[in-house]
Amino acid sequence: MRRNLNVSQCVAEALRLEMARDPSVVVLGEDVGRHGGVFGATRGLQKTFGADRVLDTPISETAITGMAVGLALDGFRPVAELMFVDFIGVCLDQVFNAIAKNHYMTGGRVRMPIVIKTAGGCIGSGAQHSQCLWGLFAHLPGLKVVTPSNPYDAKGLMASAVESDDPVVYIEHKGLLLTRAEDFTFGADVPEERYTVPIGAACVVRPGDDVSLVTLSGTVLPSLAAAEQMASRGTSVEVIDLRSVVPLDIATIIASVARTGRLLIVDEDYLSFGLSGEIVTRVIEELGPNALRQVRRLAVPDVPIPGALSLERAVVPNLASILMALEQMSNAS
Amino acid sequence: MTTLPERYAYMVWMREFELACLEGVPTHEVHGELHLGIGQEAIAAGIAGVLRADDALVSTHRNHLHAIAKGVDMRAMLAEIFERSTGLCGGFGGHMHLFDPSLKFSATGIVGAGLPVAVGHAYAARLRGSDAVAVAVVGDGAVNSGGFHESMNMAGAMRLPVIVVVENNEWAISVPFHLTSATDTVAERASAWGAVGVRVDGNDVVAVASAFQDAVARARSGQGPSIVEATCYRFRGHFEGDSDLYRTEQEKEAHRAQDPLLITHRRLVASGLSTDEVLSKQYAEIRAAVQDLLASVRADPLPDASTARDHVFVASTLEAR
Repeated sequence: MRRNLNVSQCVAEALRLEMARDPSVVVLGEDVGRHGGVFGATRGLQKTFGADRVLDTPISETAITGMAVGLALDGFRPVAELMFVDFIGVCLDQVFNAIAKNHYMTGGRVRMPIVIKTAGGCIGSGAQHSQCLWGLFAHLPGLKVVTPSNPYDAKGLMASAVESDDPVVYIEHKGLLLTRAEDFTFGADVPEERYTVPIGAACVVRPGDDVSLVTLSGTVLPSLAAAEQMASRGTSVEVIDLRSVVPLDIATIIASVARTGRLLIVDEDYLSFGLSGEIVTRVIEELGPNALRQVRRLAVPDVPIPGALSLERAVVPNLASILMALEQMSNAS
Repeated sequence: MTTLPERYAYMVWMREFELACLEGVPTHEVHGELHLGIGQEAIAAGIAGVLRADDALVSTHRNHLHAIAKGVDMRAMLAEIFERSTGLCGGFGGHMHLFDPSLKFSATGIVGAGLPVAVGHAYAARLRGSDAVAVAVVGDGAVNSGGFHESMNMAGAMRLPVIVVVENNEWAISVPFHLTSATDTVAERASAWGAVGVRVDGNDVVAVASAFQDAVARARSGQGPSIVEATCYRFRGHFEGDSDLYRTEQEKEAHRAQDPLLITHRRLVASGLSTDEVLSKQYAEIRAAVQDLLASVRADPLPDASTARDHVFVASTLEAR
């Protein structure tokens, strides 16, 4: 049954179900309570669970993330919201020096069941409110990094993130949050009851034989649209939605590339020293240097996200640029 | 209530514990920047015995004395510092990262990073409806970090049971406090956050204990956060290996004359609570006990190298690597 709801409502529904079944789950952050989140992803929670369990904090990200550490050390499961992922610049210390490392530094004696819930992605907001940064978090050992691309996964991955005994950075895509389920060509049906989507399992959202297109988050939809258009031109594109960057489901990628021999990675994060390079390296390590007939990376070409939307479109992967990359690969083969 | 003789005994254990740690530096059993609290014992000993097991204490890079004050097992601590598999954290933490979750004791090697963690503990107590409190010990270097303000404001705005003990040893590594602080004291800043601030002589274990007990009582009864600023002096460099040329020999000598152990020893004798003979005998016994601990820890194995990739995640789902 197709329900009339958007992605942020799916996230809020997941949090509501987790809070109802586990009294140790608390939500804290800026505007998460009274306002229900600037994107609506915590809407209604404070009314149901009270102002203590859904805490509106001052604009103090170091204190918010540090409090999450103390709450976790004290037996709670905090969901700490960082309104925009770009704001990690003011509080990375608690995230990568404490949240990511405390389990390791104690030889497993301490757990950090913390969700850093945050929003990334380009929607014309300029250089300081548009980044994805999943590659940054993925580089730092000890953090799981989750990037849902559709309503079904948004709800199921949040359930898994809250339930996880490991810290999870859950990066919503701002361009998807207010998109309605009916506008998705996949994952549009969201059950009302609780369910989980396992963290670390990629999803082949469209099977294909000629090219393996690996992507995630906000670029899955345009990748699917591009694959659809390529099909009518005789090229069969397999689209893989990673769903999480850490753990990276390299087995699913390798199984696909071993068949197609052609790999296109579409990543809304920065190009260099990140996810796309990592995937290519692991594929080569696994399949050998001759396994790939073609490899291509489409990502933000190491520039800050421009302010003007017309400029943003020039550097952020979109349907046109994905299609162009696929056409070039198809023509060259 | 912890008595003065008991507090003195804590101080001796703390001094001898640090001296035992120091023995591991030239022998290359202890690596990295070892931060010793020698000279600052009266503060931790003033904290000792006041907190309950369910109260949290978050410490710093110079954390050994605070762990002892919280009741953390000294053998497990020493084994961790000497990098043994029997250590408090199995050798994965090291001397800057001592954790004992059963006593809600933790530490961080990042200056100022412990305070928001204590705020989280205090908030956990509120969520539970418990009267447990949370203590953050920080140095004077931490009080100028942004997180210090954020955390103090959060604690003040929510009236959380947070006690911040500032060990003001006058030197943030090589930079003196008066050059870095807009205020003469840390305590006077407390009113900005709706907190109570007091400044005490951190060489006076009775003064520290009294101020700390007051602050804990306020926190436990819902009266919000406090800052207890205790002045002190670190007798060693910032870390073992620090050339420590930024402080003059005259200054160091003057402070060594104010050794809190000597002060407390004299006080016990002058007040008739003890005698030189009893205290000397007690000191020798504690010294021998710590040396026994050290010898025993040295017989423990180092961690198994094959475990170095364990514990990154609880659920090891990183099959690919």
